[in-house]
Amino acid sequence: MNKEELKQKIIQIMEEKVKKGGKTKIYLKDLQREIPDANPREIKNAANELVREGKLEYFSTGSTVMFGLPGVGMGLEAGVEKPEE
Amino acid sequence: MGIEKFKELDPIYTQPYDPTLAEKLYNPEKPMENRITDIGPPYFWQFMPPVIQKNYGKWVSHEIIQPGVLKYKSETGDVVYVVRCGTPRLETTDYIREICEIADKYCGGYVRWTTRNNVEFHVTDEETLKALIEDLKNRKHPNGSYKFPIGGTGAGISNIVHTQGWIHCHTPAIDASGVVKAIMDELFEYFGSHKLPAKTKLALACCLNMCGAVHCSDLALVGIHRKPPLVEDERLEHVCEIPLVIASCPLGAIKPATAEVDGKKKKTVRINVDRCMFCGNCYTMCPALPISDGEGDGITIVVGGKVSNRITPPEFSRVVIPYIPNEPPRWPTTVKWLKKIIEVYSQYANKYERIGTWINRIGWERFFELTGIPFTEKCIDDYRLAYTTYRTSMHFKFTKHVDEVFNAPENYKVELFK
Amino acid sequence: MGEVKKHDTPKVDQLKTGPWPSFVDDIYSYAEKHKNQACFDIMGQMELSYTNKETHWKHGGIVGVFGYGGGVIGRYSDQQEKFPAIWAFHTVRVHHTAGKWYHTSALKKLCDMWDSRGSGVVNFHGSTGDIILLGTVTDQLEPIFFDLTHQLHWDLGGSGSNLRSPACCMGKSRCEWALIDVQELDYELTMAFQDELHRPAFPYKFKFKFSGCPLDCVAAVARADMSFIGTWRDDIRIDQEAVRAYVRGELKPNAGAFSDRDWGPFDIKKEVIDLCPTKCMYWDENEQKLYINNSECNRCMHCIAVMPEALRPGQDTGIAILIGAKAPILEGAQLSTLIVPFMKVEPPYDELKDFIYKAWDYWMENGKNRERIGELIQRVGLNKFITEVMGLTPIPQHVRVPRDNPYIFWKEEEVEGGWTRDVAEFRKRHPA
Ligand code: HEM
Ligand code: HEM
Ligand code: SF4
Ligand code: SF4
Ligand code: SF4
Ligand code: SF4
Repeated sequence: MNKEELKQKIIQIMEEKVKKGGKTKIYLKDLQREIPDANPREIKNAANELVREGKLEYFSTGSTVMFGLPGVGMGLEAGVEKPEE
Repeated sequence: MGIEKFKELDPIYTQPYDPTLAEKLYNPEKPMENRITDIGPPYFWQFMPPVIQKNYGKWVSHEIIQPGVLKYKSETGDVVYVVRCGTPRLETTDYIREICEIADKYCGGYVRWTTRNNVEFHVTDEETLKALIEDLKNRKHPNGSYKFPIGGTGAGISNIVHTQGWIHCHTPAIDASGVVKAIMDELFEYFGSHKLPAKTKLALACCLNMCGAVHCSDLALVGIHRKPPLVEDERLEHVCEIPLVIASCPLGAIKPATAEVDGKKKKTVRINVDRCMFCGNCYTMCPALPISDGEGDGITIVVGGKVSNRITPPEFSRVVIPYIPNEPPRWPTTVKWLKKIIEVYSQYANKYERIGTWINRIGWERFFELTGIPFTEKCIDDYRLAYTTYRTSMHFKFTKHVDEVFNAPENYKVELFK
Repeated sequence: MGEVKKHDTPKVDQLKTGPWPSFVDDIYSYAEKHKNQACFDIMGQMELSYTNKETHWKHGGIVGVFGYGGGVIGRYSDQQEKFPAIWAFHTVRVHHTAGKWYHTSALKKLCDMWDSRGSGVVNFHGSTGDIILLGTVTDQLEPIFFDLTHQLHWDLGGSGSNLRSPACCMGKSRCEWALIDVQELDYELTMAFQDELHRPAFPYKFKFKFSGCPLDCVAAVARADMSFIGTWRDDIRIDQEAVRAYVRGELKPNAGAFSDRDWGPFDIKKEVIDLCPTKCMYWDENEQKLYINNSECNRCMHCIAVMPEALRPGQDTGIAILIGAKAPILEGAQLSTLIVPFMKVEPPYDELKDFIYKAWDYWMENGKNRERIGELIQRVGLNKFITEVMGLTPIPQHVRVPRDNPYIFWKEEEVEGGWTRDVAEFRKRHPA
């Protein structure tokens, strides 16, 4: 798998997860599990490149970091700006 | 990318700060434009004074000429004097500027910090040293505390390594800076003197995550929660992603659930409270699971750890007081017990014995007897690898505990810490 | 800045007195001088915490600078109405320099930047090592990053499941015991792994720490997933005349570390020879000469620390690598385990980088979410980690004691004849 294919595959996995109503943020490990034939370091590099291109964004808890699609799910400044109905 | 490995001061630092530059360079529409990344910290060499650069790797010996003041000799014949001062670690830019002013006046503009939040000033002659020490002693905050207490060397107590507490973190069970201030005020005499049997290192972490080497300190405090998180059923589904919350618990104690709030079905979670170890990770993921509790939270005291390989290998600290309530602003019970432990250690330990090596010689039963700290079942390990801490030999001492429990059990009462 | 609103803080105010530097006085002085509402509000919120003994910060999702997964930690007050100036109070981690040396021109410029874009409150330093700038709002994060990189040539430190900012002791800059150049090593590896430092790469956090000698001043053995500690393998250098000077009481033992108490005259037998853990030292009273059986010394540094003018570590120096320290969460606290007892290292440290990549690759492939490398080693077994993962040959130095049980997982290929056996043959020898 070349880098572009890997990047497409990552986006595809993220979009499917969202469609199924599952998690909108995932760990690198989860990506590795979904793409067992790629090397973890390549997955890392591809996912980080997607962030640079604005196609993914980081979600950091301070102790760990996850990846998400920009604007999907619990977003920027979670728990603060999402209005309670 | 990469910035030059500056051996001399990068000229950028002599240009004044321009508060308007960033807005000109940064374009939110094109975040990669003008962006510099992955340059790392400045190369350290440019920040070391000439005498340090010249004698780098050439030092032959050192001497602590008085508490907090060191003299280093180089094979080139050069000497450097160092004055070490405690800082509160939590400070303002004005305090840093004052450090800069001192460094500019006496040290050619160079200064360094130690791992334990002490700041160090370097000079090369005794006259400047005298003036520097005099100056440092006279700098005080408006209400009289020293700005730069001199000490932290040799057989005394160095500054406390600590974490954020109520000034910044969202999961602390205790404050950090306030507790440290209360302790160091009380133990101040040991910071600027060499009268203990060995170096004594204190640390504080405000929750179980233990940012810092708390588990290997001579004396340390750890903040603990004792109540599982609250679950706000009506708010949870609006502010949290349930799968993420479930995944956040290191012990798998969180399960999805539904609850009825005002006749409406709400997605939420339930916590298996018997499995919860009160770490607060779930709250990091979900603001509808608050964990802090004024009554439940408090301090655990651990003792006897070290990291140095000197004489004996590095060792973990052990729990001796499982819980003391939070008592802001000065935590008197905590401070009282710390002081007691240090005084007993100071009285009974041999020269060169760290707290842990001293206890290993006299036995933990003797430690509990001498300090008067009540021993409770909470000090018996039941987490992983607990068995390695059980006593499996006839090597024990007859302290008061044996008499009290086995010769007159009716007299034995577990005292509560209050 | 218009009117500032001050809060009553009677409890917090009690921390203004006493000899130890008061952060309360400092923050209030700053607040008054700069009419800084955030500083008044932070003291107000602290007072509230001191009243109900609970924190008033909440965590908040993603804040950070574009393209970096760490370096910024989001924070919001839960008292937005009472303390509006700190409703958002994010921290920025600025990567400290190796050995924590600074020139004031850089520090003052950093202060100017923080006065203009943040609260003015800082930590020198956070317990990982970084300089921590405490308290700013989301809109200022990108400008701060641009100021740091363009005007200060300074980058952020790590947080999250990244490589955290490496840290070292003062090393050769001042310490005569530094057996390796920890500062250069720290800087080189920091630069080599910038990508891992700024962007998520691992199942969880990873820390490097470097100590120049076995006294381990940065607590590498307790705090780092990979601890690098200097050591030596030739003889301790002895200046016999200086030893005699200690014995005669002319030099202060331990460089004067015990000066404020009368421990009696220095007794070399009691204080050095008898405390040597390997009992490899001998003081000949007649000859007035110190002997060390260096091949038995475990380099604990005690004798050297007691008589620094007389004894110095050897000159054939190198690095030991220990792996796997962590705080108690989750599998209990761990110290690092010795993997490489001695290795010569020199810039650009390629063999070290290879070693690190080997360990990382295995961890990235096999580590579970939030599993530190030390926990992974426990799960797969140290023996397997040494041999199969790192490709090293096990030696007795890897363990404190050998195992106490014979429950060994032999592999088929290790057993003569393999595991496939012929029942008929067996029954020929052992009729049922
Ligand atoms: C005799 C003279 C000694 C001197 C001049 C000395 C100097 C220092 C200095 C300057 C630091 C701060 C290091 C840094 O920030 O990079 C330090 C920290 C430390 N020292 Fe020493 N040291 C001495 C003896 C010892 C001894 C005898 C031990 C152990 C028994 C020891 C154990 C440590 C440890 C563990 C730290 C780490 C502090 C931390 O946890 O952050 N030192 N020492
Ligand atoms: C699951 C566990 C953990 C979580 C959720 C966690 C979370 C955090 C958070 C939120 C902060 C930022 C505090 C602030 O500035 O507001 C922090 C800081 C830090 N953490 Fe952790 N942490 C965890 C485990 C650890 C462990 C195991 C270590 C060390 C071995 C550690 C070391 C640190 C250090 C050194 C800091 C800097 C704090 C300071 O300098 O005051 N953390 N952590
Ligand atoms: S020890 Fe816990 S509460 Fe304290 S700063 Fe670290 S994560 Fe926050
Ligand atoms: S506090 Fe920790 S152990 Fe308890 S439920 Fe939350 S994450 Fe799990
Ligand atoms: S670890 Fe060793 S080399 Fe480094 S500062 Fe401490 S005593 Fe010196
Ligand atoms: S370094 Fe330690 S083990 Fe070696 S001779 Fe000195 S005291 Fe003995």
